Amino acid sequence: MRTSHKVLTALVPLAALLAACGHNTQDAQGAKNSTAAFDPATCQGGTLRVLNQGDLTHYDPARLYTSGGGKIPTLLFRTLTTRNRVPGPDSTKVVPDLATDVGTPSDDAKTWTYHLKDGLKFEDGTPITSADIKYGIERSFAPELPGGAPYLRDWLKDAQNYGGPYKDGELSSIETPDDKTIIFKLRKPEGEFPYLATATQFAPVPKAKDTGVDYEKHPISSGPYKVESFDQSKHLVLVRNDNWSRQIDDQRLACPDRIEVTAGLDPAVVNQRLATGAGDDANAATTDVNLGPAELARLGSDPQLAAHVAHTHFGDTTYLAFNPKVKPFDDIKVREAISYAVNRQTVINAVGGSQLADPATTFLPDQAVFGYQPYDHFPAGPTGDPAKAKELLAQAGYPNGLTITLTHSTAQSGHGPGVATAIQDALKQAGITVNLEPLDPDSFDAKVNTPATEPGLSIDGWGADWPSGNPFLAPIFDGRQIIKSGGNFNLAQYDNPEVNDEIDAINKLTDPAAAAKRWGALDEKIGKEALTVPLYHSKDLLLFGKNVKNAWVSDWNGLYDLSVMSVK
Amino acid sequence: MRHYRVGLAIVAALVLIALTAPLLTALEGQDATGFHPELVNSALGGLPNGALGGISADHWLGVEPGTGRDIFARIVYGAQVSLGVAIGATVVQVLIGTTVGLAAGMGGRLADGLLTRGIDLMMALPELIFAIALLVIVPAGFPRPLLLAGVIGVFGWGGTARLVRAQTLSLRTRDYVAAARLAGAGRVRVARREILPGVVAPVLTYAALLLPGNIVSEAGLSFLGIGVRPPTPSWGQMLSNASVWFRSDPMYVIIPAAAIFLAVLAFTLLGDGVRKAANPRTTGAAS
Repeated sequence: MRTSHKVLTALVPLAALLAACGHNTQDAQGAKNSTAAFDPATCQGGTLRVLNQGDLTHYDPARLYTSGGGKIPTLLFRTLTTRNRVPGPDSTKVVPDLATDVGTPSDDAKTWTYHLKDGLKFEDGTPITSADIKYGIERSFAPELPGGAPYLRDWLKDAQNYGGPYKDGELSSIETPDDKTIIFKLRKPEGEFPYLATATQFAPVPKAKDTGVDYEKHPISSGPYKVESFDQSKHLVLVRNDNWSRQIDDQRLACPDRIEVTAGLDPAVVNQRLATGAGDDANAATTDVNLGPAELARLGSDPQLAAHVAHTHFGDTTYLAFNPKVKPFDDIKVREAISYAVNRQTVINAVGGSQLADPATTFLPDQAVFGYQPYDHFPAGPTGDPAKAKELLAQAGYPNGLTITLTHSTAQSGHGPGVATAIQDALKQAGITVNLEPLDPDSFDAKVNTPATEPGLSIDGWGADWPSGNPFLAPIFDGRQIIKSGGNFNLAQYDNPEVNDEIDAINKLTDPAAAAKRWGALDEKIGKEALTVPLYHSKDLLLFGKNVKNAWVSDWNGLYDLSVMSVK
Repeated sequence: MRHYRVGLAIVAALVLIALTAPLLTALEGQDATGFHPELVNSALGGLPNGALGGISADHWLGVEPGTGRDIFARIVYGAQVSLGVAIGATVVQVLIGTTVGLAAGMGGRLADGLLTRGIDLMMALPELIFAIALLVIVPAGFPRPLLLAGVIGVFGWGGTARLVRAQTLSLRTRDYVAAARLAGAGRVRVARREILPGVVAPVLTYAALLLPGNIVSEAGLSFLGIGVRPPTPSWGQMLSNASVWFRSDPMYVIIPAAAIFLAVLAFTLLGDGVRKAANPRTTGAAS
């Protein structure tokens, strides 16, 4: 998913779309600090407060765009599968949630079968059946309920023009032979279907309680908490769901009795309140406010505060995107010259320094789960190689340098004016004059993601919908995913039959380790064409209140997990 | 009278600084847009190395956190933008305000009524919101300082127009104006030859007092991120970037804030002096 996109605010901090890489040592320390006095058996009680910057938008499982079930949504909605709730690298694994296993593939991974666990109930005590899950997925196709990830429409058979249950009745490619079994028929092999089944669209919705667009006012919970009150965009109060118990859910601990979410706060205010921890704020956490560069300077001198910081990963890459359809970027020598000229040190400083970002030379984030295979085809060192860039420009027919335009978003995010001016300064050393074209975020998306209007060079970011190579590489480099009408992410407009075939071949694999290897090799191969200049993989630092325990970070989404944290 | 001299001295110094910015930065040996990653600590979020935000013999006012750009160079180049935009905006305000005010004062009952309501409407507009809307829709290629001066000017001429209209109404009943009319002078001629010289003094006074307000407007718009575009520096934009650093690098906040404070103070003192000089017997009537 495009990381500058607002959908992501549901998953990770927007200012913070800075994640990645192998910091297991930091994680281990973070885990030790926060789990020291933690015992799941006695963790229950108290009120956990969540202080967030992003607005609470739609709490309808059909409308949420989440990774691994989301942070807050996962407290309400159980899904067929979910992310594994353990610290460390294993947190990128898929585990069963409502289902008994992560799914049984057949027919070359074109059919996936799930069986439900026993004793599952909604908050009103009615049993959860496979028909409720089928209905929940069908609703997400309704045009009234937009917002979810696009994969279901692409993957499910006969779903491309399906308009949801209100208009078009049932979807034939989901079968429910009995109350416990659900079978998905796909139109192409998708070995990563179990990852997709973690999305909230796979949460059960009782047809009898469905009130359409009003359902989000009181969605029927299948998780450990239910909605007590929901004041859109400001407050969400969750209380215990008595029909949930740890016997039927081995993933969520649900320690606090009550969870109160306050949204729309200023990020500086959130960090200040968490750092001070006065009164109720000692029991507070955030799911979307990263520490900023100015606060990092404080951490060094305040070890007590540093103990309440979670170091997180979220696989993402910020990069320069070339559109080779626009001159002079049709010439690979020009693209290589720019690859050599970038100064990753100044770029990283612009987004908060070495604690918030690592230099990137690969498109895949530097975590094994994505299939990361290190390569550096155009070694520029940390500060760039302007001499080599000049040499390549001369070969390309620009011995006196050239003038180009760099399009960027005006949002004060990781792809904003700060990065743009750093690139401008670095390219100047190589004789390239960069004119900046700043656009407000909506205009930026509209212009850059429509192939007909796409500029030659822009700053973009990409984060994964789930920890694997597919959602990272396919939307960017699969020629069949060039979307002419807008919403295109294949910014190089790259259509190479060999690459397309390899993507199809990897999608047939159902073993994540085997697939990861092939994704890494594919990334290394595409990297030689200099279609992008990877700039950095970001990292997040998140504060939590001083009474909060068990705040370890998941490698899946780069955040600590509210469903296992305790304030007691 | 003393204050006015202080104001004049500071204004003269600021204008000189703005005009000689390239010279001054050359003297310091720095430039306003060059990055210096070696002068900041990347692991501490880009905090400048050394005390007081990295103030040193090479960087007289320290360096910017994150980028390591020279703050002295950015302040003196920022003076060009801040003063240039403020003066340009004041010129626009005076030109439009005087024209509309004269026309209203000299026009018939209908023209006066319409123009006066127009002035009221202009003054009732939430200036900032319209300025933001306008600044966002104008294409990126348009020269930013020119646009800023235009936008601040176009939304801020109401006061000048009212002043000129009132002055015109009082002047047109004077004997010398009546004499000119009896001699056969047309309205336009009367406005230009008889009335205009009489409104120059109060308008100049008013303009001197508008200037500091316009400096603040430019700083405000740049603070909101819709002023001049990076890498061009402006004081408001520097203050905006600095606001999150107030705890860890206070100098970064103090320097642009002091520059804005000094400019506003100096222009206000100067404007006060002009007002007293133009109308020594009254205090506080001109505006």
